[in-house]
Amino acid sequence: MLRFWPIWVLLLGGLFYWGMQRPNPNELQSVLVGKPAPAFSLPLLEPYREAFGPEMGIGERVEKPVLLNIWASWCIPCRTEAPLLERFHQQYKDQVLILGVNVQDKETDALKFIQQYGLTFPSVYDGRGRIGIEYGYYGVPETFVIDRNGTILARHAGELSEAQLQGYLRQVLQ
Amino acid sequence: MKVEGLVPRVQGQTLWKQAVWVLLLAVASQLSAIGLAQPAPSTPPPDFSPRVFEIARELRCPVCQGESAGESNAGIAVEMRRIIDEQLAQGKTEAEIRQFFVQRYGDWILYEPPARGLTLWVWLSPLIGLGLLGFGLWRYLVRVKARAHTTASDVSDEEIARLESELNRTPERS
Repeated sequence: MLRFWPIWVLLLGGLFYWGMQRPNPNELQSVLVGKPAPAFSLPLLEPYREAFGPEMGIGERVEKPVLLNIWASWCIPCRTEAPLLERFHQQYKDQVLILGVNVQDKETDALKFIQQYGLTFPSVYDGRGRIGIEYGYYGVPETFVIDRNGTILARHAGELSEAQLQGYLRQVLQ
Repeated sequence: MKVEGLVPRVQGQTLWKQAVWVLLLAVASQLSAIGLAQPAPSTPPPDFSPRVFEIARELRCPVCQGESAGESNAGIAVEMRRIIDEQLAQGKTEAEIRQFFVQRYGDWILYEPPARGLTLWVWLSPLIGLGLLGFGLWRYLVRVKARAHTTASDVSDEEIARLESELNRTPERS
C-alpha cells in the first residue's frame, strides 16, 4: 500500500481542496432562492392601516421589487438595522417596497419599536412566526430580496450593512 | 455549682439539633420529590400529541445548537410543532410533513439526511472504509503466509539435518 503513496497524497490533497471549496455553512443559503416567494397576507400593524389598508403581504404578482425584512423588537441587530431601512425607504420608496414582518413578538412591543425608530415602511404582524417558517428563516433579522416577478433573488441572514443593502437594491433594480 | 443541671440542657440541645436535622431532611426529601415530579425536558407537554414530538424530534430547531424541534422551547420550534399538529389533523403522512420542512429549509432540517447526492458518500464511506481495511488485512495475511512458506523452503537440507540431530540427541546427565 505504501508503494502508492503519491496516489494517497493526491487523494487526500484533493479531498482537502474539495472541502475548502465548499460553501461556507454560516452563509445559510436558502433553498428558496430562484423560486417564487411564498404568498401570504397578514394584518398590518396599527400605524400603517390608514395608508396601506388592514392587510398586506406578498401575492402571486408584486407591483415592484420587495425587500422582505423579518424583525422583532427584542432583537438587538434589528435596532441598528431599522434606521438604515427607514433611510432607504425614504430614498427608494417609489422603486422598492420594504415590507417588515414582525415575528415572535408582542404587538405592544412592536408598536413601541416602530414609534421609537419612526419607521414609516409598512410592517405586518406575525406573532408566532408562521410566515418566517414559510420562508425558511433561521432567526431575526433576515431579509429576502424579491424581484418584480415575485422570485426570491437572495436571502440575507443577520444585520444588513449599508453596502450590502445598496448591493441588493442594485441587483433588484437592474 | 449544680452539675446535674447541665445534663438535661445538653440532652435538650441534642434533641433540638436532632429535630432541626429531621426537619431539614424532611424539607430536602420534599424538594427532591418535587424535583423528581418535574417532567423530563423531552416529555411532551399536554398540548401536542406524542406523535407530533416524534416527528419534531427528526427535525432540527433552526435557531438552536444541537436541539431538535421536539426538544427545544424556542418560539420557532413551538410553531414547527404546531404546524406538524395541524398537518397531522389534515391527514398528512409523516413523509409529507417532513417534505414540507425540506422544501423550506433543504435537507439540512433533517437529522437523518437522505442517502442521495453528496450525503450518499456520508452513508457509504464507513462501508468503503471497512472494505479497504478488510482488503489491506487480507493482503497482509497473504504476504505473511507466503513469507512463512518461503522461509521454510529456504532452509538447506544440511541445516534441517543438523536441527533434527539436535532434537533427537538425548540429554546428557550431569
